[in-house]
Amino acid sequence: MTLELSRLTGQVRAMGEELAARERQFADLVELAHRWLAQYADQGERLRHPARAIRAAIPTGEALDAVHPLPAIPERFTVIAADGSQIQPDRHGVALYYLINVGSLVYRHGSGEAPEAHSEPILGYTEADMYENGLLVGGNLLDVRRDLAEITRLADLCAVEPPGSTMALVDGTLILWVLEDLPAEGRCAKVTAYLDQLDRIRKAGAAVAAFVSRPRRAEVTRLLYLASLDGDVNRATQEPNPLEHLPDRAVFEPLPPGARSALFVSPSPINYEYYHPAGHAVHFCYLNLAEEEHDPVIARVEVPAWVARDHDRLALVHGAVVAQARITGDYPYALARADELAYVSGPERAAFEEMVTTALLRVGVRSSLSPKAYYKSLTRRGRRRYRL
Amino acid sequence: MSNGNLQVGRVLRAGTRGFAIGCAVMQPDIPTFGSFVRAEGQTPGSVIYGLIYDVGVEDDPFVRQFISADPPEEVVRDQRENRQVPIEVSVLAVGCSDGETIRHRLPAQPPVTLDWLYQCSDEEVRAFTACFDYFRLVLEAREVPADELLAASLRAAAAARPEGEREAFLIEAGRELARLLASDPVRLEGLLRRLRNV
Repeated sequence: MTLELSRLTGQVRAMGEELAARERQFADLVELAHRWLAQYADQGERLRHPARAIRAAIPTGEALDAVHPLPAIPERFTVIAADGSQIQPDRHGVALYYLINVGSLVYRHGSGEAPEAHSEPILGYTEADMYENGLLVGGNLLDVRRDLAEITRLADLCAVEPPGSTMALVDGTLILWVLEDLPAEGRCAKVTAYLDQLDRIRKAGAAVAAFVSRPRRAEVTRLLYLASLDGDVNRATQEPNPLEHLPDRAVFEPLPPGARSALFVSPSPINYEYYHPAGHAVHFCYLNLAEEEHDPVIARVEVPAWVARDHDRLALVHGAVVAQARITGDYPYALARADELAYVSGPERAAFEEMVTTALLRVGVRSSLSPKAYYKSLTRRGRRRYRL
Repeated sequence: MSNGNLQVGRVLRAGTRGFAIGCAVMQPDIPTFGSFVRAEGQTPGSVIYGLIYDVGVEDDPFVRQFISADPPEEVVRDQRENRQVPIEVSVLAVGCSDGETIRHRLPAQPPVTLDWLYQCSDEEVRAFTACFDYFRLVLEAREVPADELLAASLRAAAAARPEGEREAFLIEAGRELARLLASDPVRLEGLLRRLRNV
Protein backbone atom coordinates (compact mmCIF):
# COMPACT_ATOMS: atom_id res chain seq x y z
CA MET A 1 0.00 0.00 0.00
CA THR A 2 1.47 3.36 -1.05
CA LEU A 3 -1.19 5.54 0.56
CA GLU A 4 0.03 6.08 4.09
CA LEU A 5 -3.27 6.25 5.95
CA SER A 6 -1.54 6.98 9.25
CA ARG A 7 -0.29 10.28 7.82
CA LEU A 8 -3.84 11.30 6.95
CA THR A 9 -5.37 10.81 10.40
CA GLY A 10 -4.98 14.44 11.47
CA GLN A 11 -6.19 15.83 8.15
CA VAL A 12 -9.26 13.56 8.12
CA ARG A 13 -10.15 14.61 11.68
CA ALA A 14 -9.80 18.29 10.73
CA MET A 15 -11.96 17.69 7.67
CA GLY A 16 -14.69 16.15 9.82
CA GLU A 17 -14.66 19.12 12.18
CA GLU A 18 -14.75 21.60 9.30
CA LEU A 19 -17.71 19.81 7.68
CA ALA A 20 -19.61 19.67 10.97
CA ALA A 21 -19.09 23.42 11.46
CA ARG A 22 -20.27 24.05 7.91
CA GLU A 23 -23.41 21.97 8.56
CA ARG A 24 -24.24 24.16 11.55
CA GLN A 25 -23.74 27.28 9.43
CA PHE A 26 -25.87 25.77 6.69
CA ALA A 27 -28.81 25.43 9.06
CA ASP A 28 -28.90 29.23 9.50
CA LEU A 29 -28.52 29.79 5.75
CA VAL A 30 -31.30 27.33 4.97
CA GLU A 31 -33.58 29.21 7.32
CA LEU A 32 -32.69 32.47 5.57
CA ALA A 33 -33.34 30.90 2.15
CA HIS A 34 -36.75 29.62 3.28
CA ARG A 35 -37.66 33.06 4.57
CA TRP A 36 -36.64 34.70 1.29
CA LEU A 37 -38.50 32.09 -0.76
CA ALA A 38 -41.74 32.92 1.07
CA GLN A 39 -41.06 36.65 1.13
CA TYR A 40 -40.29 37.05 -2.58
CA ALA A 41 -42.53 34.27 -3.93
CA ASP A 42 -44.52 36.66 -6.14
CA GLN A 43 -41.52 38.57 -7.53
CA GLY A 44 -40.80 36.15 -10.39
CA GLU A 45 -41.98 38.39 -13.20
CA ARG A 46 -39.79 41.29 -12.01
CA LEU A 47 -36.72 39.13 -11.55
CA ARG A 48 -36.83 37.32 -14.89
CA HIS A 49 -34.60 39.74 -16.77
CA PRO A 50 -31.97 40.45 -14.09
CA ALA A 51 -31.80 36.75 -13.17
CA ARG A 52 -30.47 35.92 -16.62
CA ALA A 53 -27.72 38.51 -16.25
CA ILE A 54 -26.25 36.83 -13.17
CA ARG A 55 -26.98 33.24 -14.23
CA ALA A 56 -29.60 32.70 -11.58
CA ALA A 57 -32.63 30.44 -12.06
CA ILE A 58 -35.07 32.24 -14.33
CA PRO A 59 -38.60 32.30 -12.97
CA THR A 60 -41.55 31.17 -15.09
CA GLY A 61 -45.07 32.47 -14.60
CA GLU A 62 -45.71 30.71 -11.29
CA ALA A 63 -44.94 31.67 -7.71
CA LEU A 64 -41.39 30.82 -6.68
CA ASP A 65 -42.64 28.79 -3.72
CA ALA A 66 -45.32 26.91 -5.67
CA VAL A 67 -45.79 23.29 -4.61
CA HIS A 68 -47.27 20.71 -6.99
CA PRO A 69 -48.39 17.51 -5.28
CA LEU A 70 -47.72 14.13 -6.85
CA PRO A 71 -50.25 13.64 -9.66
CA ALA A 72 -52.21 10.42 -10.05
CA ILE A 73 -49.82 7.87 -11.52
CA PRO A 74 -51.30 6.03 -14.52
CA GLU A 75 -51.57 2.24 -14.29
CA ARG A 76 -49.64 1.69 -17.50
CA PHE A 77 -46.78 3.81 -18.81
CA THR A 78 -43.30 3.22 -20.17
CA VAL A 79 -39.99 4.59 -18.99
CA ILE A 80 -37.02 4.35 -21.33
CA ALA A 81 -33.66 5.17 -19.79
CA ALA A 82 -30.28 5.35 -21.49
CA ASP A 83 -26.81 5.88 -20.14
CA GLY A 84 -23.36 5.63 -21.68
CA SER A 85 -19.79 4.90 -20.76
CA GLN A 86 -16.63 5.18 -22.79
CA ILE A 87 -13.07 3.97 -23.15
CA GLN A 88 -10.93 7.00 -23.91
CA PRO A 89 -8.33 6.73 -26.67
CA ASP A 90 -5.00 5.77 -25.16
CA ARG A 91 -1.84 6.54 -27.10
CA HIS A 92 0.00 4.10 -24.83
CA GLY A 93 -2.43 1.29 -25.65
CA VAL A 94 -2.19 -1.48 -28.24
CA ALA A 95 -4.08 0.62 -30.80
CA LEU A 96 -5.67 4.05 -31.03
CA TYR A 97 -9.43 3.70 -30.70
CA TYR A 98 -12.33 4.79 -28.56
CA LEU A 99 -15.34 2.85 -27.44
CA ILE A 100 -18.74 4.15 -26.42
CA ASN A 101 -21.14 1.70 -24.82
CA VAL A 102 -24.77 2.79 -24.48
CA GLY A 103 -26.98 0.84 -22.12
CA SER A 104 -30.75 1.23 -22.22
CA LEU A 105 -33.74 -0.22 -20.44
CA VAL A 106 -37.36 -0.14 -21.55
CA TYR A 107 -39.48 -0.55 -18.43
CA ARG A 108 -43.23 -0.98 -18.92
CA HIS A 109 -44.92 -0.15 -15.62
CA GLY A 110 -47.94 -2.26 -14.81
CA SER A 111 -47.21 -4.83 -17.53
CA GLY A 112 -45.64 -7.52 -15.37
CA GLU A 113 -43.19 -8.04 -18.24
CA ALA A 114 -39.41 -8.24 -17.98
CA PRO A 115 -37.95 -4.92 -19.13
CA GLU A 116 -36.06 -4.87 -22.43
CA ALA A 117 -32.36 -4.48 -21.73
CA HIS A 118 -29.96 -3.40 -24.46
CA SER A 119 -26.30 -2.63 -24.68
CA GLU A 120 -24.90 -1.09 -27.83
CA PRO A 121 -21.15 -0.60 -28.31
CA ILE A 122 -19.79 1.85 -30.88
CA LEU A 123 -16.12 1.57 -31.84
CA GLY A 124 -14.26 4.56 -33.30
CA TYR A 125 -10.96 3.82 -35.05
CA THR A 126 -10.74 5.47 -38.48
CA GLU A 127 -8.84 8.74 -38.96
CA ALA A 128 -12.18 10.47 -39.44
CA ASP A 129 -13.46 8.97 -36.17
CA MET A 130 -10.40 9.79 -34.16
CA TYR A 131 -9.70 13.43 -35.06
CA GLU A 132 -11.80 16.58 -35.13
CA ASN A 133 -10.12 19.72 -36.47
CA GLY A 134 -6.78 18.09 -35.76
CA LEU A 135 -7.72 17.28 -32.15
CA LEU A 136 -7.80 13.72 -30.87
CA VAL A 137 -11.36 12.78 -29.95
CA GLY A 138 -11.10 12.36 -26.20
CA GLY A 139 -12.22 14.27 -23.12
CA ASN A 140 -15.08 16.65 -23.81
CA LEU A 141 -15.24 15.73 -27.52
CA LEU A 142 -15.85 12.11 -26.62
CA ASP A 143 -18.29 13.06 -23.84
CA VAL A 144 -20.34 14.92 -26.43
CA ARG A 145 -20.35 11.88 -28.73
CA ARG A 146 -21.47 9.70 -25.83
CA ASP A 147 -24.27 12.15 -24.94
CA LEU A 148 -25.37 12.17 -28.58
CA ALA A 149 -25.32 8.37 -28.70
CA GLU A 150 -27.49 8.23 -25.54
CA ILE A 151 -30.12 10.68 -26.79
CA THR A 152 -30.17 9.04 -30.23
CA ARG A 153 -30.76 5.66 -28.61
CA LEU A 154 -33.63 7.15 -26.60
CA ALA A 155 -35.14 8.71 -29.73
CA ASP A 156 -34.86 5.38 -31.60
CA LEU A 157 -36.62 3.54 -28.79
CA CYS A 158 -39.33 6.21 -28.39
CA ALA A 159 -40.05 6.05 -32.13
CA VAL A 160 -41.44 2.52 -31.83
CA GLU A 161 -43.60 3.19 -28.76
CA PRO A 162 -47.24 4.28 -28.92
CA PRO A 163 -47.55 8.04 -28.25
CA GLY A 164 -48.78 9.53 -25.02
CA SER A 165 -47.48 7.32 -22.26
CA THR A 166 -43.72 7.12 -22.70
CA MET A 167 -41.00 9.03 -20.88
CA ALA A 168 -37.40 9.03 -22.02
CA LEU A 169 -34.93 9.59 -19.20
CA VAL A 170 -31.27 10.60 -19.16
CA ASP A 171 -28.91 10.85 -16.24
CA GLY A 172 -27.57 14.35 -15.58
CA THR A 173 -28.60 17.28 -17.69
CA LEU A 174 -30.37 17.89 -21.00
CA ILE A 175 -27.91 20.67 -21.78
CA LEU A 176 -25.12 19.39 -23.95
CA TRP A 177 -21.92 20.56 -22.36
CA VAL A 178 -19.62 21.59 -25.19
CA LEU A 179 -16.37 23.33 -24.42
CA GLU A 180 -16.49 26.98 -25.37
CA ASP A 181 -13.06 26.86 -27.03
CA LEU A 182 -14.48 24.71 -29.83
CA PRO A 183 -15.04 26.63 -33.11
CA ALA A 184 -18.57 28.14 -33.14
CA GLU A 185 -19.56 26.15 -36.22
CA GLY A 186 -18.54 22.86 -34.60
CA ARG A 187 -20.37 23.69 -31.37
CA CYS A 188 -23.50 24.64 -33.28
CA ALA A 189 -23.42 21.37 -35.27
CA LYS A 190 -23.13 19.29 -32.13
CA VAL A 191 -25.88 21.05 -30.23
CA THR A 192 -28.13 21.00 -33.30
CA ALA A 193 -27.60 17.23 -33.65
CA TYR A 194 -28.68 16.84 -30.00
CA LEU A 195 -31.72 19.07 -30.49
CA ASP A 196 -32.71 17.04 -33.56
CA GLN A 197 -33.02 13.99 -31.32
CA LEU A 198 -35.17 15.94 -28.84
CA ASP A 199 -37.37 16.81 -31.83
CA ARG A 200 -37.67 13.14 -32.72
CA ILE A 201 -38.75 12.33 -29.16
CA ARG A 202 -41.34 15.11 -29.25
CA LYS A 203 -42.68 13.91 -32.62
CA ALA A 204 -42.93 10.36 -31.26
CA GLY A 205 -45.40 11.70 -28.69
CA ALA A 206 -43.12 10.92 -25.76
CA ALA A 207 -41.83 13.14 -22.97
CA VAL A 208 -38.16 13.52 -22.09
CA ALA A 209 -36.48 14.42 -18.81
CA ALA A 210 -33.06 14.50 -17.22
CA PHE A 211 -32.57 13.37 -13.63
CA VAL A 212 -29.91 14.82 -11.33
CA SER A 213 -29.30 12.94 -8.11
CA ARG A 214 -28.11 15.00 -5.11
CA PRO A 215 -27.93 18.20 -7.21
CA ARG A 216 -25.38 20.80 -6.23
CA ARG A 217 -26.49 23.72 -8.40
CA ALA A 218 -27.10 27.01 -6.61
CA GLU A 219 -29.26 28.81 -9.17
CA VAL A 220 -32.46 29.25 -7.15
CA THR A 221 -30.49 30.41 -4.12
CA ARG A 222 -28.78 32.97 -6.39
CA LEU A 223 -32.22 34.10 -7.52
CA LEU A 224 -33.33 34.53 -3.90
CA TYR A 225 -30.25 36.59 -3.18
CA LEU A 226 -31.06 38.76 -6.20
CA ALA A 227 -34.62 39.13 -4.92
CA SER A 228 -33.31 40.25 -1.53
CA LEU A 229 -31.45 43.05 -3.39
CA ASP A 230 -34.60 44.12 -5.16
CA GLY A 231 -33.30 42.73 -8.45
CA ASP A 232 -30.23 44.99 -8.48
CA VAL A 233 -27.76 43.18 -10.75
CA ASN A 234 -24.86 45.48 -9.91
CA ARG A 235 -25.14 44.86 -6.19
CA ALA A 236 -25.69 41.16 -6.79
CA THR A 237 -22.40 40.88 -8.68
CA GLN A 238 -20.40 43.08 -6.31
CA GLU A 239 -21.61 42.13 -2.86
CA PRO A 240 -21.00 38.73 -1.28
CA ASN A 241 -23.91 36.32 -1.57
CA PRO A 242 -24.49 34.62 1.81
CA LEU A 243 -26.23 31.72 0.00
CA GLU A 244 -23.44 31.28 -2.56
CA HIS A 245 -22.55 27.74 -1.50
CA LEU A 246 -26.01 26.65 -0.48
CA PRO A 247 -27.35 24.16 -3.02
CA ASP A 248 -30.89 24.63 -4.26
CA ARG A 249 -31.90 21.26 -2.90
CA ALA A 250 -31.59 22.60 0.66
CA VAL A 251 -34.22 25.23 -0.16
CA PHE A 252 -36.70 22.58 -1.30
CA GLU A 253 -36.32 20.04 1.49
CA PRO A 254 -39.70 21.07 2.98
CA LEU A 255 -41.48 19.81 -0.19
CA PRO A 256 -44.06 17.18 0.82
CA PRO A 257 -43.29 13.59 -0.27
CA GLY A 258 -43.75 13.19 -4.03
CA ALA A 259 -44.30 16.92 -4.61
CA ARG A 260 -42.34 19.14 -6.95
CA SER A 261 -41.34 22.81 -6.84
CA ALA A 262 -42.16 25.54 -9.32
CA LEU A 263 -40.51 25.34 -12.72
CA PHE A 264 -37.56 27.58 -13.54
CA VAL A 265 -35.61 28.10 -16.76
CA SER A 266 -31.95 27.13 -16.83
CA PRO A 267 -29.72 30.23 -17.08
CA SER A 268 -27.05 28.39 -19.10
CA PRO A 269 -25.90 30.47 -22.09
CA ILE A 270 -26.18 27.40 -24.35
CA ASN A 271 -29.83 27.16 -23.31
CA TYR A 272 -30.49 30.68 -24.57
CA GLU A 273 -28.25 30.51 -27.61
CA TYR A 274 -29.42 27.18 -29.03
CA TYR A 275 -32.19 25.45 -27.05
CA HIS A 276 -34.54 28.40 -26.66
CA PRO A 277 -34.78 29.35 -30.38
CA ALA A 278 -35.39 25.68 -31.27
CA GLY A 279 -38.29 25.40 -28.81
CA HIS A 280 -36.38 23.19 -26.36
CA ALA A 281 -35.53 25.76 -23.63
CA VAL A 282 -34.55 23.65 -20.65
CA HIS A 283 -36.74 24.10 -17.57
CA PHE A 284 -36.10 22.49 -14.22
CA CYS A 285 -37.76 21.82 -10.91
CA TYR A 286 -36.92 20.05 -7.66
CA LEU A 287 -38.76 16.96 -6.55
CA ASN A 288 -39.02 15.18 -3.22
CA LEU A 289 -38.80 11.47 -4.07
CA ALA A 290 -39.29 10.22 -0.51
CA GLU A 291 -42.33 8.32 0.64
CA GLU A 292 -44.49 9.53 3.52
CA GLU A 293 -42.69 9.68 6.87
CA HIS A 294 -39.25 9.37 5.31
CA ASP A 295 -36.50 11.98 5.21
CA PRO A 296 -36.68 14.13 2.08
CA VAL A 297 -34.71 13.03 -0.99
CA ILE A 298 -34.48 16.02 -3.30
CA ALA A 299 -33.61 15.54 -6.95
CA ARG A 300 -33.48 17.98 -9.82
CA VAL A 301 -35.45 17.16 -12.96
CA GLU A 302 -34.95 18.97 -16.26
CA VAL A 303 -37.45 19.04 -19.11
CA PRO A 304 -37.59 20.93 -22.43
CA ALA A 305 -40.12 23.75 -22.90
CA TRP A 306 -42.58 21.55 -24.83
CA VAL A 307 -42.83 19.22 -21.82
CA ALA A 308 -42.95 22.08 -19.33
CA ARG A 309 -45.91 23.63 -21.16
CA ASP A 310 -47.84 20.42 -21.74
CA HIS A 311 -49.81 19.51 -18.62
CA ASP A 312 -50.13 15.81 -19.49
CA ARG A 313 -46.48 15.33 -20.42
CA LEU A 314 -45.30 17.20 -17.34
CA ALA A 315 -47.58 15.13 -15.10
CA LEU A 316 -46.25 11.96 -16.74
CA VAL A 317 -42.65 13.03 -16.03
CA HIS A 318 -43.50 13.97 -12.43
CA GLY A 319 -45.33 10.71 -11.70
CA ALA A 320 -42.96 8.47 -13.65
CA VAL A 321 -39.80 9.84 -12.02
CA VAL A 322 -41.27 9.35 -8.53
CA ALA A 323 -42.57 5.87 -9.39
CA GLN A 324 -39.18 4.85 -10.78
CA ALA A 325 -37.21 6.29 -7.87
CA ARG A 326 -39.44 4.63 -5.29
CA ILE A 327 -38.58 1.21 -6.66
CA THR A 328 -35.06 1.59 -5.33
CA GLY A 329 -35.87 4.23 -2.73
CA ASP A 330 -34.17 7.29 -4.15
CA TYR A 331 -32.93 6.79 -7.72
CA PRO A 332 -34.77 5.75 -10.90
CA TYR A 333 -34.47 1.99 -11.31
CA ALA A 334 -34.27 2.25 -15.11
CA LEU A 335 -31.32 4.65 -14.88
CA ALA A 336 -29.49 2.40 -12.44
CA ARG A 337 -29.93 -0.51 -14.85
CA ALA A 338 -28.99 1.55 -17.91
CA ASP A 339 -25.77 2.52 -16.15
CA GLU A 340 -25.09 -1.12 -15.33
CA LEU A 341 -25.70 -2.09 -18.96
CA ALA A 342 -23.35 0.64 -20.18
CA TYR A 343 -20.54 0.10 -17.71
CA VAL A 344 -17.38 -1.48 -19.14
CA SER A 345 -15.63 -3.27 -16.29
CA GLY A 346 -11.87 -3.72 -15.97
CA PRO A 347 -11.93 -7.41 -17.00
CA GLU A 348 -14.21 -6.59 -19.97
CA ARG A 349 -11.84 -3.89 -21.06
CA ALA A 350 -8.88 -6.26 -20.77
CA ALA A 351 -10.77 -8.91 -22.78
CA PHE A 352 -11.59 -6.31 -25.44
CA GLU A 353 -7.96 -5.22 -25.70
CA GLU A 354 -6.95 -8.84 -26.11
CA MET A 355 -9.51 -9.11 -28.90
CA VAL A 356 -8.01 -6.05 -30.60
CA THR A 357 -4.48 -7.46 -30.28
CA THR A 358 -5.57 -10.78 -31.81
CA ALA A 359 -7.41 -9.05 -34.67
CA LEU A 360 -4.30 -7.00 -35.44
CA LEU A 361 -2.07 -10.08 -35.34
CA ARG A 362 -4.38 -11.86 -37.81
CA VAL A 363 -3.73 -9.11 -40.36
CA GLY A 364 -0.02 -9.11 -39.69
CA VAL A 365 0.18 -6.08 -37.39
CA ARG A 366 2.23 -6.61 -34.27
CA SER A 367 1.05 -4.27 -31.57
CA SER A 368 1.99 -3.77 -27.97
CA LEU A 369 1.58 -1.42 -25.07
CA SER A 370 3.99 1.51 -24.85
CA PRO A 371 6.84 0.87 -22.37
CA LYS A 372 5.16 3.27 -19.94
CA ALA A 373 1.81 1.45 -20.12
CA TYR A 374 3.55 -1.93 -19.90
CA TYR A 375 5.34 -1.12 -16.66
CA LYS A 376 2.22 0.47 -15.20
CA SER A 377 0.41 -2.78 -15.96
CA LEU A 378 3.08 -4.65 -13.98
CA THR A 379 3.31 -2.35 -10.99
CA ARG A 380 -0.39 -1.63 -10.59
CA ARG A 381 -1.63 -5.16 -10.95
CA GLY A 382 -0.79 -6.19 -7.39
CA ARG A 383 -0.33 -9.75 -6.30
CA ARG A 384 -2.72 -12.31 -7.65
CA ARG A 385 -3.77 -15.60 -6.22
CA TYR A 386 -4.72 -18.28 -8.66
CA ARG A 387 -7.25 -20.87 -7.71
CA LEU A 388 -9.27 -23.56 -9.49
CA MET B 1 -35.33 -36.05 -22.07
CA SER B 2 -32.46 -34.11 -23.61
CA ASN B 3 -31.19 -34.04 -27.20
CA GLY B 4 -27.68 -33.08 -26.12
CA ASN B 5 -27.77 -29.54 -27.51
CA LEU B 6 -29.12 -27.90 -24.39
CA GLN B 7 -26.57 -25.34 -23.26
CA VAL B 8 -26.11 -25.10 -19.52
CA GLY B 9 -23.75 -22.13 -19.60
CA ARG B 10 -20.16 -21.11 -20.20
CA VAL B 11 -17.11 -22.17 -18.28
CA LEU B 12 -16.04 -19.53 -15.73
CA ARG B 13 -13.08 -21.38 -14.24
CA ALA B 14 -11.83 -24.90 -14.61
CA GLY B 15 -9.43 -27.45 -13.21
CA THR B 16 -8.78 -31.12 -13.89
CA ARG B 17 -11.14 -32.25 -11.14
CA GLY B 18 -14.00 -29.98 -12.08
CA PHE B 19 -15.19 -26.66 -13.31
CA ALA B 20 -17.62 -23.84 -12.61
CA ILE B 21 -20.17 -22.55 -15.09
CA GLY B 22 -22.08 -19.28 -15.23
CA CYS B 23 -25.57 -19.19 -16.63
CA ALA B 24 -28.09 -16.43 -16.81
CA VAL B 25 -31.41 -17.98 -15.98
CA MET B 26 -32.65 -20.97 -14.04
CA GLN B 27 -34.51 -22.94 -16.71
CA PRO B 28 -36.99 -25.56 -15.52
CA ASP B 29 -34.92 -28.41 -16.96
CA ILE B 30 -31.37 -27.08 -16.51
CA PRO B 31 -29.24 -27.06 -14.49
CA THR B 32 -30.21 -29.77 -12.01
CA PHE B 33 -28.22 -31.52 -9.33
CA GLY B 34 -26.82 -34.87 -10.56
CA SER B 35 -27.26 -34.08 -14.30
CA PHE B 36 -24.68 -35.41 -16.74
CA VAL B 37 -23.01 -32.62 -18.71
CA ARG B 38 -20.24 -32.40 -21.26
CA ALA B 39 -17.75 -29.81 -22.42
CA GLU B 40 -15.44 -29.96 -25.39
CA GLY B 41 -11.88 -30.96 -24.62
CA GLN B 42 -8.92 -29.12 -26.07
CA THR B 43 -8.09 -31.72 -28.69
CA PRO B 44 -10.54 -31.88 -31.59
CA GLY B 45 -13.38 -34.35 -31.00
CA SER B 46 -12.54 -34.90 -27.35
CA VAL B 47 -15.16 -34.48 -24.66
CA ILE B 48 -15.08 -34.04 -20.88
CA TYR B 49 -17.99 -35.46 -18.88
CA GLY B 50 -19.12 -34.16 -15.53
CA LEU B 51 -21.85 -34.24 -12.93
CA ILE B 52 -23.52 -31.08 -11.62
CA TYR B 53 -23.03 -31.12 -7.86
CA ASP B 54 -23.95 -27.60 -6.86
CA VAL B 55 -26.14 -24.84 -8.21
CA GLY B 56 -25.64 -21.52 -6.51
CA VAL B 57 -27.57 -18.31 -7.09
CA GLU B 58 -25.13 -15.42 -6.83
CA ASP B 59 -26.16 -12.15 -5.27
CA ASP B 60 -24.93 -8.58 -5.39
CA PRO B 61 -25.69 -5.39 -3.48
CA PHE B 62 -28.25 -4.30 -6.07
CA VAL B 63 -30.36 -7.45 -5.63
CA ARG B 64 -30.06 -7.17 -1.84
CA GLN B 65 -31.86 -3.82 -2.02
CA PHE B 66 -35.05 -5.58 -3.06
CA ILE B 67 -35.05 -8.37 -0.49
CA SER B 68 -36.86 -6.45 2.23
CA ALA B 69 -38.92 -4.38 -0.22
CA ASP B 70 -41.79 -5.66 -2.27
CA PRO B 71 -40.47 -5.12 -5.78
CA PRO B 72 -42.85 -4.90 -8.74
CA GLU B 73 -43.11 -7.95 -10.99
CA GLU B 74 -41.16 -6.10 -13.72
CA VAL B 75 -38.18 -5.73 -11.36
CA VAL B 76 -38.32 -9.37 -10.28
CA ARG B 77 -38.31 -10.48 -13.91
CA ASP B 78 -35.56 -8.02 -14.82
CA GLN B 79 -33.35 -9.35 -12.02
CA ARG B 80 -34.05 -12.96 -12.98
CA GLU B 81 -34.00 -12.74 -16.74
CA ASN B 82 -31.80 -9.85 -17.77
CA ARG B 83 -29.05 -9.36 -15.23
CA GLN B 84 -25.71 -10.95 -15.91
CA VAL B 85 -24.64 -14.44 -14.78
CA PRO B 86 -26.47 -14.74 -11.49
CA ILE B 87 -26.24 -18.54 -11.37
CA GLU B 88 -23.06 -20.51 -10.83
CA VAL B 89 -23.07 -24.24 -11.48
CA SER B 90 -20.29 -26.48 -10.14
CA VAL B 91 -19.37 -29.63 -12.00
CA LEU B 92 -17.31 -32.65 -10.93
CA ALA B 93 -15.30 -34.17 -13.78
CA VAL B 94 -16.03 -37.90 -14.00
CA GLY B 95 -14.79 -38.93 -17.42
CA CYS B 96 -13.55 -38.05 -20.83
CA SER B 97 -13.61 -39.30 -24.37
CA ASP B 98 -11.32 -38.99 -27.36
CA GLY B 99 -14.38 -39.05 -29.58
CA GLU B 100 -14.51 -42.85 -29.75
CA THR B 101 -13.93 -44.42 -26.33
CA ILE B 102 -15.42 -43.16 -23.09
CA ARG B 103 -13.09 -43.43 -20.11
CA HIS B 104 -14.06 -42.95 -16.50
CA ARG B 105 -11.09 -40.96 -15.33
CA LEU B 106 -10.04 -37.36 -14.89
CA PRO B 107 -9.46 -35.47 -18.14
CA ALA B 108 -5.86 -34.69 -19.08
CA GLN B 109 -6.76 -31.02 -19.52
CA PRO B 110 -9.70 -28.96 -18.29
CA PRO B 111 -12.05 -27.07 -20.64
CA VAL B 112 -11.17 -23.47 -21.46
CA THR B 113 -12.81 -20.34 -20.09
CA LEU B 114 -16.06 -19.42 -21.87
CA ASP B 115 -16.41 -22.88 -23.47
CA TRP B 116 -20.03 -23.98 -23.62
CA LEU B 117 -21.22 -26.73 -21.31
CA TYR B 118 -24.06 -28.90 -22.63
CA GLN B 119 -26.47 -31.25 -20.95
CA CYS B 120 -25.78 -34.82 -22.15
CA SER B 121 -28.35 -36.45 -24.39
CA ASP B 122 -30.09 -39.61 -23.16
CA GLU B 123 -27.96 -41.58 -25.60
CA GLU B 124 -24.76 -40.11 -24.16
CA VAL B 125 -25.93 -40.80 -20.61
CA ARG B 126 -26.63 -44.44 -21.51
CA ALA B 127 -23.24 -44.78 -23.19
CA PHE B 128 -21.45 -43.17 -20.26
CA THR B 129 -23.20 -45.31 -17.64
CA ALA B 130 -22.71 -48.56 -19.54
CA CYS B 131 -20.08 -49.26 -16.91
CA PHE B 132 -19.69 -47.94 -13.37
CA ASP B 133 -16.04 -47.06 -13.07
CA TYR B 134 -16.94 -43.40 -12.42
CA PHE B 135 -18.41 -44.40 -9.04
CA ARG B 136 -14.99 -44.33 -7.48
CA LEU B 137 -14.31 -40.77 -8.69
CA VAL B 138 -17.55 -39.59 -7.11
CA LEU B 139 -17.21 -41.55 -3.87
CA GLU B 140 -13.69 -40.26 -3.35
CA ALA B 141 -14.44 -36.62 -4.16
CA ARG B 142 -14.26 -34.72 -0.88
CA GLU B 143 -15.61 -31.38 -1.99
CA VAL B 144 -18.99 -32.72 -3.11
CA PRO B 145 -21.99 -34.36 -1.39
CA ALA B 146 -20.80 -37.64 -2.91
CA ASP B 147 -23.54 -40.06 -1.89
CA GLU B 148 -26.38 -37.71 -2.83
CA LEU B 149 -24.62 -36.94 -6.09
CA LEU B 150 -24.07 -40.56 -7.02
CA ALA B 151 -27.69 -41.47 -6.23
CA ALA B 152 -28.96 -38.47 -8.25
CA SER B 153 -26.74 -39.41 -11.20
CA LEU B 154 -28.03 -42.99 -11.12
CA ARG B 155 -31.60 -41.76 -11.03
CA ALA B 156 -30.81 -39.58 -14.07
CA ALA B 157 -29.10 -42.52 -15.82
CA ALA B 158 -32.09 -44.79 -15.10
CA ALA B 159 -34.48 -42.15 -16.44
CA ALA B 160 -32.45 -42.05 -19.68
CA ARG B 161 -33.24 -45.75 -20.28
CA PRO B 162 -36.46 -47.38 -21.45
CA GLU B 163 -38.80 -48.07 -18.55
CA GLY B 164 -38.33 -51.85 -18.78
CA GLU B 165 -34.55 -51.57 -18.33
CA ARG B 166 -34.47 -49.20 -15.38
CA GLU B 167 -34.82 -51.66 -12.52
CA ALA B 168 -32.18 -54.01 -13.92
CA PHE B 169 -29.83 -51.03 -14.36
CA LEU B 170 -30.26 -49.91 -10.76
CA ILE B 171 -29.80 -53.45 -9.41
CA GLU B 172 -26.58 -53.72 -11.39
CA ALA B 173 -25.43 -50.34 -10.02
CA GLY B 174 -26.31 -51.48 -6.49
CA ARG B 175 -24.14 -54.58 -6.92
CA GLU B 176 -21.21 -52.44 -7.99
CA LEU B 177 -21.71 -50.19 -4.96
CA ALA B 178 -21.84 -53.25 -2.68
CA ARG B 179 -18.49 -54.33 -4.05
CA LEU B 180 -16.90 -50.85 -3.66
CA LEU B 181 -18.32 -50.17 -0.20
CA ALA B 182 -18.02 -53.67 1.25
CA SER B 183 -15.98 -52.29 4.12
CA ASP B 184 -18.46 -49.49 4.87
CA PRO B 185 -21.89 -51.11 5.29
CA VAL B 186 -23.46 -48.00 6.88
CA ARG B 187 -22.60 -45.83 3.91
CA LEU B 188 -23.67 -48.57 1.51
CA GLU B 189 -27.04 -48.88 3.18
CA GLY B 190 -27.60 -45.12 2.97
CA LEU B 191 -26.80 -45.11 -0.73
CA LEU B 192 -29.01 -48.12 -1.49
CA ARG B 193 -31.87 -46.47 0.39
CA ARG B 194 -31.51 -43.42 -1.82
CA LEU B 195 -31.61 -45.63 -4.91
CA ARG B 196 -34.73 -47.44 -3.72
CA ASN B 197 -36.53 -44.08 -3.72
CA VAL B 198 -36.33 -43.80 -7.51
